Order: sequence, then C-alpha cells, then structure tokens
Amino acid sequence: MTPTTNELLVGNFMAFAVPPPPESMGEFLSGRVSVVGLISLLAAQEAETGVAVRVWENGAIAELLARAGATVPGAADASDLSVAALDAHNAQLRLLLISVHASAELEGNLALDREILSLYQAMADRRMLVLPALPGA
Amino acid sequence: MSLSENIAAYLGRLWGEAVEVENLSRIPGGASRETYRFDAKLGSQTKALILRRDPVGSLIDTDRRLEFLAYQSFYDLGIPVPEPVALEMAETELERPFFIMGRIDIGKAASPFTVEAYGDHAAAIGHQFFSYLGQIAKADPKGMPISTVAPAPSLDTCWSVALDYWAGVIEADLLHPQPIVYAAIRKLRRNPPPPAQKLSVVHGDYRTGNFLHDGLGKITAILDWEMAHLGDPLEDLGWALDPLWGHYDPTQVSGMLPRDEALALWQAQSGLEIDQRALDWWSLFNAVKGQAIWTSAAKEFRTGGGTDPVLGFSGWYTARRHDKIIADRLASLEGWK
Repeated sequence: MTPTTNELLVGNFMAFAVPPPPESMGEFLSGRVSVVGLISLLAAQEAETGVAVRVWENGAIAELLARAGATVPGAADASDLSVAALDAHNAQLRLLLISVHASAELEGNLALDREILSLYQAMADRRMLVLPALPGA
Repeated sequence: MSLSENIAAYLGRLWGEAVEVENLSRIPGGASRETYRFDAKLGSQTKALILRRDPVGSLIDTDRRLEFLAYQSFYDLGIPVPEPVALEMAETELERPFFIMGRIDIGKAASPFTVEAYGDHAAAIGHQFFSYLGQIAKADPKGMPISTVAPAPSLDTCWSVALDYWAGVIEADLLHPQPIVYAAIRKLRRNPPPPAQKLSVVHGDYRTGNFLHDGLGKITAILDWEMAHLGDPLEDLGWALDPLWGHYDPTQVSGMLPRDEALALWQAQSGLEIDQRALDWWSLFNAVKGQAIWTSAAKEFRTGGGTDPVLGFSGWYTARRHDKIIADRLASLEGWK
C-alpha cells in the first residue's frame, strides 16, 4: 500500500521537526519545501476521495470475485469506514483477486482475464492523483 | 568535526597536501544518494567537486562502486559525464561510503513532473539524449572499469536476471497486495523477449531529470548512474520511453521528440535493431521496475519515520501513476499469453 494521507501529513511535519545542518539550509531545504507542498496539495485530493475510492474498489473486487465463484471475505465491521479498516479489507480482497487472476490465466479463461484487466484499469484510474501543470522551461 | 572538516581531512590525506573545503551545500532531488556540491582549495587552486554519499534511508539499494566505475567507464568516451575523483567504501571517513567527482556547473536538471520542461529546445535536447543513449548501447563493455565488478549475464538471460531482481524487490518490500504489478510480472515470465543483440552497459535510470542541460539546447552532463549494470540495451530504451517521464505530453517521448524519431536516432547511433516485441517486453518490464522502486520508497518512508518527503511522494503519487501505466499496458497486450 502506498503511504496513507495520515502518514504523509505527519511526514510533512517530521521533515522539519529536526533543524537541518548548515549545509542543508539552502537549495536542499527549498527543494524539500517544494516536495512537502506537493504532498499537501495531493493530500487534499486524497482527503476528498480516499474513502469513497476504497469503498468502491472493495465493492468492485468483491462483486467480480463473487461472479467468478470465489468465497468472498467480508469486512470485519462493515460500518467501519476508517481508512485502516477499509485497507485491511482491501488487502484480503486483493490477495484473493491475485489468486483468482492467476488461476484464470492458467486455465486460459480469457473472458475472466479480460474482466479482471478492465477492473485493474478502473482501480488505477480511481486512485490516480492529479498534479496541476507545473511550468518547467 | 563538521562534514566540511571531514571532507577536507580526507582529501588532504588523499592528495598529500592541506585542503580547505568551502561552499558545501546539499543538492535536492533523488533519494538514493546524498549529493553535495563544494569547492576544494589546495593552495591557489580551487577544484569544483561533488560528493555522493550513501543515505541513511534510500529509495533504492545501489552500489556506489558500480556508479563510480560507470563514470570511469564513460569519462573521455564522448558521453558528457563528470570526472571521477575518489571512491571510499569505508565508513570511517564520512560515516557512510561515498565517492567524489568533478562538478559540471553549466546546466540544470528538469523535474519530470513539469510540462514543456525543455521549451523551444526540446527537439535539440531529444536529439542528443537519444543519440547518447545509442552510443552507450553501442559501447563494448569488455575492458571497461565497470566490467571488473558488474556481473555479465548471457544474452538469453538478461531479461530473467533483471526481472528476477526487481520482482524480488517487490516481494521483499511489499506492504500491501498489488494485483496489477503481479499480473505484469506473470505476463513477462510467460512471454520472454528474444535474447539481447549484445551485452551493453545499462545506465539503469536514463531519463528526463537525470541529465543537465544549459537552457540553450545542449546536454552538459549525463548523471545518476547508481543503477548501472550490464544487460540488454533495450532496457534503458524502455525506461527512457516510459510515459512517467513524458512530461504529460503523449505525443513526445521524454517530453522531447516524437517516438519514431527517438527510436531512429537510437538505432542510428547504436547500430542495433529494435524488435517491437522485445521493446514491448522491456517497456512493460520497466513499468514493473518503476513500481518496485516506488514500493521500496513506500516501505522506507513508512518504516523509517517518514522524515524524507521524497520517499513519501515517490511511494505514493508515482506508484499510482505506474499502476495506471501498467494496467493500460496489460490491457493492450491482448496477443500475449
């Protein structure tokens, strides 16, 4: 799993918690400030959509696995919408998805393979973060 | 003693005369080495130098000896690289292993996450970028300093050596199941590429952002050889072409040139053919390799106290972009088993 918003924002604080040595005060420090700024910007997107994306992904994987005939693990507490709880359920579902996909490939089940590949695209699409156009030249 | 004083003491012993270190300043970017610029004064002479020191926590585990030998291998061979000065593997001098090289002051590196990074000079820079890569591919590694240390895989195992390594990194550092990259690894194993046409020095991270340009259309230094090794030259080409390094412009590879033009330049300089199936394999492989690097970054960030935001950004934003790149590529490889 990529770092959570919580970890990233704590990291932004930790990046400046210890005063840097003199040789890291100039260009390096301003570079670090830029990265912290980018993380904050992207964290705003994740704060807005992170729970909804996880709920959607867990539902989409569970639905596909059920159609494929797998025994789908339920969430420990379906009413718990914390990121930690959703990620824990997501890990169970993803592990089963990996196994079902590998079996489909071995069995030559092209229809299921295509369906899973389409799901991967949708999962990746929904988790994408969008950087604004940063001028370069 | 301060870092400046330790560097001065080390160089003084190395060169056999008193050295003063001035203007020591850490350079941002990357997380596989700590990079510092400084001036070393010996009497009336001033040397402009760079220190590359192993970090406490790293984006990737790399061998500083290989990086140093890569600079030695290509210095004076027509590829603009800094002059290697000293390699120190002991941890007694500056706490961690390091090397020192000459500093090329003319030029700046572009961030991969900017648009139109090279402005009106994109085509000129792209011409040099892909030509230099072709020259690196063409060079015979036999007799080069890097060949004294880097393992030489056989032509038909370049792919499996590379894939085994990066799949192993993912396996070791994964903190959450990643079905997309796992599917890519299985697909790569089921569909091996043809043997490499030749064994080459592979830069390992040849991309936009890892070279300096003078703002007027000239590349002044090819840098960041920390992942250099021997292998299939198409590996570097696949990495350079990865959409992650495209500056958000799907019509130009590396934000520089149309794809066909870049490939033609590489072919002309390397004297090698580009087998489309082989390039497809190495392109998917490189997206997996990228995901392995970001997986390691995420682990390092989460287990290392989260103090380096570059690791956090790499393990998050770039990881998600590579998931998207891999998912799209997998869907487009219908003809593969």
